[in-house]
Amino acid sequence: MIFAVLAAGVRAEDIVVIVNPAAKPISKEQIVDVYLGRNAELTPIDQTVGSSIYVQFYKKATGRDAAQIKAIWSRILFTGRGQPPKQLPDSEAVKKSVAANPNAVGYIEKSAVDASVKVVLPLD
Amino acid sequence: MKARTLKEAWRLGSIAEPQILFPLIALVLLAAMWMATAGIIRLKHTEAERDAALLSRELLGTYEAQVVRVLREIDQTLNLVKFWHEGNFMQGALSELKDRGLLPPDLVFSVSIADRDGTIVESTRPLGGDSVADQDYFRKQRDSSAILVGKLPRGATGDGKLLFSKRLNGPKGEFDGVVMVAVDASFFVSGYDAAKLGEHGVLGILGTDGIVRVRRSGESLFSGDALDYASVLPKSDDADAEPPVSRSSWDGVWRWSSAREIYGFPLAILVGLAQEEQLAAVQRDAFGYRSWAAVGSVGIILLMAVLGRMSWQLAQSHLRESESKLEHARRVEYLAYHDGLTGLPNRSMFSKLLAQRISEARRYNKQLAVAFLDLDRFKQINDTLGHEAGDQLLMEVAARLQGCVRDSDTVARLGGDEFVVLLPEIDEGKQAVIVAQKILAVIGKAFTLIGHEFRVTASIGISLYPRDGEDEQTLTKNADIAMYQAKAEGKNNFQFYSEKLNANSLERLTLESSLRHALERNEFRLYYQAKRDIRSGRIAGMEALLRWEHPDLGTVAPMQFIPVAEDTGLIVPIGKWVLKTACLQSVAWQNEGLPPLSVAVNMTARQFSDEYLLQDLASILEDTGMNPQLLEIELSESLLIHDVETTLRILTGIKSLGVRIAVDDFGTGYSSLATLQRFPLDTVKIDRSFIGELAGPSEDSALADAVIAMGKSLSLTVIAQGVETKEQAEFLRTHACDELQGFYFNRPLPAYQFAQLMRAQSADISYVGTRAGLLNPQL
Repeated sequence: MIFAVLAAGVRAEDIVVIVNPAAKPISKEQIVDVYLGRNAELTPIDQTVGSSIYVQFYKKATGRDAAQIKAIWSRILFTGRGQPPKQLPDSEAVKKSVAANPNAVGYIEKSAVDASVKVVLPLD
Repeated sequence: MKARTLKEAWRLGSIAEPQILFPLIALVLLAAMWMATAGIIRLKHTEAERDAALLSRELLGTYEAQVVRVLREIDQTLNLVKFWHEGNFMQGALSELKDRGLLPPDLVFSVSIADRDGTIVESTRPLGGDSVADQDYFRKQRDSSAILVGKLPRGATGDGKLLFSKRLNGPKGEFDGVVMVAVDASFFVSGYDAAKLGEHGVLGILGTDGIVRVRRSGESLFSGDALDYASVLPKSDDADAEPPVSRSSWDGVWRWSSAREIYGFPLAILVGLAQEEQLAAVQRDAFGYRSWAAVGSVGIILLMAVLGRMSWQLAQSHLRESESKLEHARRVEYLAYHDGLTGLPNRSMFSKLLAQRISEARRYNKQLAVAFLDLDRFKQINDTLGHEAGDQLLMEVAARLQGCVRDSDTVARLGGDEFVVLLPEIDEGKQAVIVAQKILAVIGKAFTLIGHEFRVTASIGISLYPRDGEDEQTLTKNADIAMYQAKAEGKNNFQFYSEKLNANSLERLTLESSLRHALERNEFRLYYQAKRDIRSGRIAGMEALLRWEHPDLGTVAPMQFIPVAEDTGLIVPIGKWVLKTACLQSVAWQNEGLPPLSVAVNMTARQFSDEYLLQDLASILEDTGMNPQLLEIELSESLLIHDVETTLRILTGIKSLGVRIAVDDFGTGYSSLATLQRFPLDTVKIDRSFIGELAGPSEDSALADAVIAMGKSLSLTVIAQGVETKEQAEFLRTHACDELQGFYFNRPLPAYQFAQLMRAQSADISYVGTRAGLLNPQL
């Protein structure tokens, strides 16, 4: 029940992928690669693991659930090929971080978007 | 023994026989192929095993490096927190370190701090529980500064986590709590690479207590099972030793397993490769190789079968060819030694057999008999019924002959109607007699040829070994002579050879062979004997008589050679020559102006039955221009009555040509008056036997008288033959005989002398008829 309510709430709020306004536009495939640790050119920024926006983002962008994402990053981490994305507590923090870092990629609620960042991919 | 037969088989070339050679080749090829296949499979298998062992060791190395790196990181984190705590002696270490990004990622790591009482005072993530005071590691940590691996506090939800702790010191070095890092156990097996480890490999981490902290096979994770730690770890520390295949205690899978203790931690790692999985590819390949080998085997077998069959067929056709050649050779040999018509042995085979039997008889002191057999009327049958009937007769005769001899006896055909029977095992001549009688009996039975019943007879001559000859030539010659004797004895009988026979037969054989050439060598002459009118004494006609001037024997009497000519059939051409010569002579004399006188020519039975008789007679008359009325054919009485109807037909034919007919030897044939009356006769000639008796008792002259009367009653000219004396002539004149013939009046004369006789008579008519003239033997 709680999940259903949460899910319904989030669904109402669309998620967008954002980059630094100075950054070049990137494709959805690049975004997916970045978040699955297959592309280290950009720095992905996560929201809190297990939060509804986290779950929704991975589901929509990569079609994988949280456990799978964890397994993927565990493996990368264990084999020493990378570090999992830094976690920030909310969309505001993410936005601030992206605005400050030309290599950063993040995801936030659509409603949180402002001129400090550039939307590269709306997820709905 | 076996080796020897094999060797022999090799030497004899029977291994080269297709039915042995090709299966052998097939076997060798199959064996080679399957051995190669098995070898390759074994090689691949060994290779795969070595690869798996190597991989297992390599994976262990890699895994160790990864685990060690993670543990170091954990150790560093613990040290970092410891360092911060021991530098500040206050709370808030974690949040500050985290802010600076010095703590490991939240994703798998959580860091907590407990105070000296075990109460958790700080944590990056809730640890699930407030106190670790009752935990083993916490208690141990009071006395140890080493890193410890412990369990989560009781009631913690994070099952499957590993907990690493380190002691925190207070300002004076006293125990001031612990710092802990909790890691998902699954993190330690997240490096499981299905591409290398497969679905049944194993990657795991266990404590030195033998308890498995976590192990992973495929996507499945397990923890908590206890292993015999000592048996999992290698006995020696030989890192290069190939890991043994062992059966895992937890799932019974055979694996190349290796384990290694982590230096500085109470942990060990475990890597295993499932044997079945690692060898699956090889097994698949092996199956593929075997399949190809099977396909190849079928191919080889088929190929060898086809080649074998082809070469077998080739061999068979060679065999057939040589067999047919052999058959042909046998056939040729058979034909060379057998008579084509009857299938009996031929002359060459007979002479071989005879020679062989003679030598056997000589060795065992036995007798043998050679019986020559000749059919008596064969030539006539052949001439009148045709060759086919003749052949049929010969075949039947052959069959009958074979039917009446024993198996050990031999019947052969020498040619024509001549057969020979060889009786190799006889004790006395009597046995040959029995066989000869049997043969005469079976030949005498009726034959049915082209729908008609016929009877033939045979004449048999027998010679005996050793009595009549000791060699092949003598025996056959003497049997032949005996056979001629049998013919001379009236046919349909058999004769044994005797010395006396030999003399006669030799003469006869000589006659026969030279008679064949007499015509072409122009050795025949015609003599003419006058017939005189009984009253006037003038020459009333003449009889042409045949003489043979043999270059060696001198003049041969007709009595001697006519029977031979008759038997051999030579009489027919001779008879034609006689008729033609007589006619030509008569015409020549007439052309000279001599009076036309009748010419009588004798005709034998063989001539009379010749189917071309009338034709020949007509053409001779035409060719020579002879007046038929002047030609008289003389036939013996016995010949006439042999077959009355046939005789009548032929006589009528002769008569229709205008030729006169005389009956020779009249009175000897016991023919009835009624029979004679049916024939168109012109003259009867009373047989010399009646005339010879005329000088004797009166009853004999009465007989002659009766015969003359009989001729007269038929209104025929009556001629007396063989008149030798004056008394006889007188008697005949008084008994109204018409003409005379005989030595008393004239001997037969050659043509030129006879012409003189005729010319003399023409010149002096008064002379003719005088007794003195008649009796003059010079004329």
